Amino acid sequence: MSEAIRLSEYPRAKRIDERQPPELRFSERAVQELERIKRHYPNKRAAMLPALWIAQREYGGHLPPEALMEVAYRLGTSYAVVEGVATFYTMYNKRPVGRVMLEVCTNLTCSICGGYEILRHLEEKLGIRAGETTPDGQFTLVEVECLNDCGNAPVMQVGNRYFGRLTPEKVDALLEELKNSEEHTVVQLADTIVQCHLSESERQDIERALAKAQAGSGGQDGQNG
Amino acid sequence: MAELKVLFKDIDVPGIQTLEVYEQHGGYSALRKALGMTRQQVIDEVKASGLRGRGGAGFPAWIKWNGIPKDESQPHYVQCNADEGEPGTFKDRELMLRHPHQLIEGIIIAGYATLSKVGYIYIRGEYTEPARVMRRAIDEAYRAGYLGKNILGSGVDFDLYIHMGAGSYECGEESAMMSSIMGERGQPRLKFPHAPLPTIAGLWNCPTLINNVETLSCVPAIIRNGGAWYASMGTEKSTGTKIFSVSGHVNKPGNYEVEMGTPLMELLELAGGVKGKLKAVIPGGSSVPILPADKCDVNLDYESLQAAGTMLGSGGFMVLNDTVCIVKFMRRTAAFYAHESCGKCTPCREGTRWMVKIFDRILAGGGRMEDIDLLLDICDQIDGRSYCALGDAAAWPIRASIKHFRHEYEYFIKHGHSMVEAQAEHSVGGR
Ligand SMILES: Cc1cc2nc3c(=O)[nH]c(=O)nc-3n(C[C@H](O)[C@H](O)[C@H](O)COP(=O)(O)O)c2cc1C
Ligand code: SF4
Ligand code: FES
Repeated sequence: MSEAIRLSEYPRAKRIDERQPPELRFSERAVQELERIKRHYPNKRAAMLPALWIAQREYGGHLPPEALMEVAYRLGTSYAVVEGVATFYTMYNKRPVGRVMLEVCTNLTCSICGGYEILRHLEEKLGIRAGETTPDGQFTLVEVECLNDCGNAPVMQVGNRYFGRLTPEKVDALLEELKNSEEHTVVQLADTIVQCHLSESERQDIERALAKAQAGSGGQDGQNG
Repeated sequence: MAELKVLFKDIDVPGIQTLEVYEQHGGYSALRKALGMTRQQVIDEVKASGLRGRGGAGFPAWIKWNGIPKDESQPHYVQCNADEGEPGTFKDRELMLRHPHQLIEGIIIAGYATLSKVGYIYIRGEYTEPARVMRRAIDEAYRAGYLGKNILGSGVDFDLYIHMGAGSYECGEESAMMSSIMGERGQPRLKFPHAPLPTIAGLWNCPTLINNVETLSCVPAIIRNGGAWYASMGTEKSTGTKIFSVSGHVNKPGNYEVEMGTPLMELLELAGGVKGKLKAVIPGGSSVPILPADKCDVNLDYESLQAAGTMLGSGGFMVLNDTVCIVKFMRRTAAFYAHESCGKCTPCREGTRWMVKIFDRILAGGGRMEDIDLLLDICDQIDGRSYCALGDAAAWPIRASIKHFRHEYEYFIKHGHSMVEAQAEHSVGGR
């Protein structure tokens, strides 16, 4: 219990020197996706939000400074610009988080329909407080604002799904399920969001391009953004 | 006492999310009809319908549509607001999850009427379930030739892209949303008359039509049946129907579509009646002033609610029974606005945080009687002095709660604990 990781206490990674070309870690798939998404807008800078979603997936669920640098490089802008955007939005994780995030709504309707009870129950059950990650890195618990599914209060977001009309019993069963599941993870959420941007024909194009690249050079690692 | 279903008419039809079933129920016939009309005729039909924006402000839709320049010297855009972040509101969620093609058809018609070739639907990042349904439906519409180049052989082009948010209430504000689509922080722009309207200089400084999901979802039925048909429902100035998202202390929470002007108490009955004793209602999302039970004898339309001192807003209808401590509830409201303030202007950024601090002092038992007037003073400092309406929205609910429930604040300050908890057996909410 004492080793719970407090989000705000996590050590800051070293700042990146913008004069050095960054180390690029996007997969070939990520490069292809970003190429397609950029075409949705009149300039590539506008692809910032989707690019950050791609990065959050590629870097395993959060955005270390290296990820922001890579996005800056691929969109032809500066680190400061990307950091300014990334830190504005709550769903981009600036610090490492658990494999699965439990985001409990305690906004108005949920607050009068048991949202705080659900949050307290999870705190007790996981042995951490809201804002912390379990020592085994499985779960991060957060209190969030209205998820806008108030008709099903109390509500919790777990990755790419909402769970509503929660009771302590339902939460217990859900935790068991999540422990043994690859579903609803932080990485999967980022991927779901990326895929929502891509049309059917774009997704098919990407598969074709990837198949071709693989047949060609036996797998590139996607350094050319 | 009944629902009147326009938007929800076919929502219970199994498979209405698919193109095939949607077409069997008249889907995309409005688009075909619109493509056979002139652009001005489409706009005039929307004008005749009296449709007003359902995103919160209630601005007449046709004025925006008509305000887009009628030439193509610049690209034009349609921006569909699917950010739905107003606490208490969940209608756009259901409209997307269960009736995606109705919205897509509305967006394409809006694109045609405003000479736009590109549309963005801005869906909040948390809404992955509705976004996946929209994705599938948009893919279907492309395959069937309703989207893309030369729609149904008419020579009209229209591409529709999904743009996902990443967690920010402020991005629901239309100009903050423009910033967010352009890849920036979700902060708003100066408003008319200090800056041009989005219809003249919106996305990338090009003409942009911005409408809410519910507003655009109304369009197919209006084109199919005529504006006059739509205007025959509701009241003179608030035409048609409105979806209310009813939540909180009712027996059957959910979305209910009713005719504009329906008595508030009828909506409560539709939602299965109040659990316990009614204390207050917040009829239009967290941003609108609270309505105490003795003032709930009012009709649900823009004008009646305004006359009653509140607003129709987004239709997020929250019901509170007598176990709710208003002071704690308002502390939670204030904390929401403090968290979501984008930080661009001082009265909102600082004022919302001061209010939370004052509330915390009261809740901790250290409140002073002057704190009530101090809260009111801060509300006055924010209201009308902020860059966008989030500031105003932070002030109105607090001010109204003090107006109607001052005695609860006084009791809390005097005794150091909640009046409601002293009376009720158990307390609800807050910590
Ligand atoms: C802080 C703030 C948040 C808002 N959030 C939303 C929202 O989530 N959805 C929405 O449709 N409109 C929202 N609005 C209203 C929009 O600014 C805008 O008026 C609306 O999208 C216009 O569409 P309509 O005319 O069809 O209502 C918000 C406004 C403010 C000031
Ligand atoms: S009123 Fe608040 S949310 Fe709006 S611009 Fe000012 S600080 Fe930002
Ligand atoms: S208050 Fe929790 S979903 Fe809206």
